[in-house]
Amino acid sequence: MSSLRPQAQRSPLTLLRVWIGFQPNQGLRTVITYLLMGVLAVSTVGPFIIMLSVSLTQNIRFLLFPIDLIPNPITLENFQLLFDRTLALRWTYNSFYVALVSTLGGVFTSTMAGYAFARGDFIGRNVLFYMFVGILIMPETALIIPQYIMLSDLGLVNSYTALIGPWFASIFGTFLMRQQFLSIPRDYDDAARIDGANIFDTWLRVLMPQLVPAMVTLGILRFMGNWNSFLYPLIVTTKAEMRTLPVGLGTVARSGGDAGLDMAGAVLGFVPTFVVFLLGQRYIIQGVSLSGLKG
Amino acid sequence: MSSATLRPVGQRRALTKRILKSLPWYPFIVINLVVFVVFNLWPWLSMFQTATFKTDLLSHREFVGLGNFVKMAGDELLHLALKNTFLFALLYVPPLVVVSLLVAILVNQKLRGMKFFRSVYFLPNVTNIAVLALVFRRFLSPRDDAPFNYLLGLVGIPAQRFLLDIHQALASIASLGVWQSFGFFMVIWLAALQAIPQPLYDAGRVDGAFGWRLHRHVTIPLLRPTAAFVVVITTIGALQEFGAIFILTGGGPVNATTTAVYHIYSQAFNFTRFGYASALSILLFVIILVIAYVQNRYLKFDEEVY
Repeated sequence: MSSLRPQAQRSPLTLLRVWIGFQPNQGLRTVITYLLMGVLAVSTVGPFIIMLSVSLTQNIRFLLFPIDLIPNPITLENFQLLFDRTLALRWTYNSFYVALVSTLGGVFTSTMAGYAFARGDFIGRNVLFYMFVGILIMPETALIIPQYIMLSDLGLVNSYTALIGPWFASIFGTFLMRQQFLSIPRDYDDAARIDGANIFDTWLRVLMPQLVPAMVTLGILRFMGNWNSFLYPLIVTTKAEMRTLPVGLGTVARSGGDAGLDMAGAVLGFVPTFVVFLLGQRYIIQGVSLSGLKG
Repeated sequence: MSSATLRPVGQRRALTKRILKSLPWYPFIVINLVVFVVFNLWPWLSMFQTATFKTDLLSHREFVGLGNFVKMAGDELLHLALKNTFLFALLYVPPLVVVSLLVAILVNQKLRGMKFFRSVYFLPNVTNIAVLALVFRRFLSPRDDAPFNYLLGLVGIPAQRFLLDIHQALASIASLGVWQSFGFFMVIWLAALQAIPQPLYDAGRVDGAFGWRLHRHVTIPLLRPTAAFVVVITTIGALQEFGAIFILTGGGPVNATTTAVYHIYSQAFNFTRFGYASALSILLFVIILVIAYVQNRYLKFDEEVY
C-alpha cells in the first residue's frame, strides 16, 4: 500500500502510480478517465471532420482557423475539380481492382497452404516452413529495389501483375490459417476419410466451412493492408494511369493545389477503408489481437 | 520420418511410399511457393549480385566488386540519413510505446462506452498515409492562422514552421506517426492486459499487494513479452519510415528528413544508381536485423513468464 501512504511524495510519477492503482475515490477517477478519453477522441476524429467539412466548402484556397464546420453553401465542386483535373477515378478503380484480387487470392492461397502445413506430411515441409518464417523476418523495404529491378527486367513495371503479385500469397495468412486448422480436431478428417473423401474434399467441404470467420478476418486485414500500401505501388508504377489511389493522392499532395481539392482527395481515399472498418471492426481488432498475442 | 533409418531392403519401398504420400500435398502450397520464389527469393539473391555493379538498368553496367560498399564510407548524405533514421526511431518508438500502453490501461476499465473509444482511437490506423499527409500538410502549415499555429496562439506560443524547420520536421513526422499508430498498439496491449488471469490479482491481494504494487508485481512482469513485441515491431517500422516523408517533405528541408529508406529510394529513382541502392538495401537489412536481434536478446522475447 506504499502508494497510498499519506506522506508519499507527490511527484507526477507517484500520482500516476496512485492513479493506475486502485483508488478509493472511484467517482473522481471515472470523471478523469472520461475527460482524458474525450480529449483524445476529439484529437483523433477532429482532423477527419475538418477534412470532410473543407472538402464541401466552396473556393477554399487555404485551411485557416477558425473555420465553419458546416460549410455554407455545401458544394461538391471540389470533387468535380478532383475528377476533372486528376485521374482520381482511374486510381480508385485501380485500387479496388488490385485490393480485391489481392485479398481473394491471398486468403485462398493461405487456406490452402495453411491446411498443408497443419495436416500434411510431405517431404520438405519443415524446410519450407522455416523458409517462410525467414521471409516474415525480412524487412520489406530492403527488397523494394531488387523487386523493381526484377519487374523491370521482365517488363512488368506498370502492370497489374506487378501490383498484385506479391499479395497473392501471405506468409502471415498461412500461419494464421495453419493455427486455425490445428484448432479443429482431427476426428473431422478421419470421419471424412472413412466416408471416402480425399484430402481435397476434406479441405473444401469439411474444414473450410468452419473457418469462415477466420477467413473474413484475414480478408479484411489483407484488404486494408493492400489498400493502404504506399512504397511498393509507388515504385512499380511510373505511368499516372497505373497508380493506385494513395500513390495518386501523394502526387496531388505534392503538387500544392487548393485546400478544397486536397481534402476532396483525402475524403476519396478515406471513405473505402472507413466503410470496411465500420463493417468489420470486430474482425479487425480480433485479428490485431491475434497477431500480437502470438508475437 | 524414420524411413531413412530402415534397413536397405525396405528403404527404397519406404521412400517410394513416402513420395507417393507427399505428392497430393504439393498442389496446396504451389502458389505460395511460386510467389515466394518470384517476389522474395529471386530479388533477394539478385540483390547481392546487383550490389557489385554500377548500373542504371539501361545502357550502363559495370562490375565494381565491393566498390559500392567502399563508396558508403564517403557518402555524407548516407551518414546524415542514418543519423536521421535513428533520431526518428528515438522520437517515435518511446512515445508510441508509452502512449499506447497508457491508453490501453484507460480503456481497459469497466466503464460505459469503452468499445466506442477503442474504435475511435483505431481509426487513424486504418487510414492510408496519403490521406493523412493531405490533411496534415494543411494543419502543419507555417501560416499564423493554420490549425496548429492557431491553437498554439490560443495558449500564447508563437507560430512554428513545423515541416519547413530543419529542427522540427522530423519530430513533426514522428508525431504524425505516433498519432496514426497508437490505436493499433493499444489493441495489442489490451489483448495482453485482458489475458492476465484474474486469479493472479486475487492471489496478489491475498499476499497483501494493492494498488501500484499489485501492478508492479503482477501486471508488469506479465506484460513483458508484449512489451518486447511492441518495442521490436515499432522499431522495425520506424527504421523503414517512408510514406509521410516522401509526401510531406521529400527528404527536406536541407535533408533534415532524409532517412535511410528515403536515401535508397532517391539514389535509385532520382539518380538511377541501382547498384549503389542495392548495396544500401543490404546495409539497411543488416542494420534492421542487428537491432531487432539485440532488442530480442535484451528484452528476452522468448522468455516464458508463467
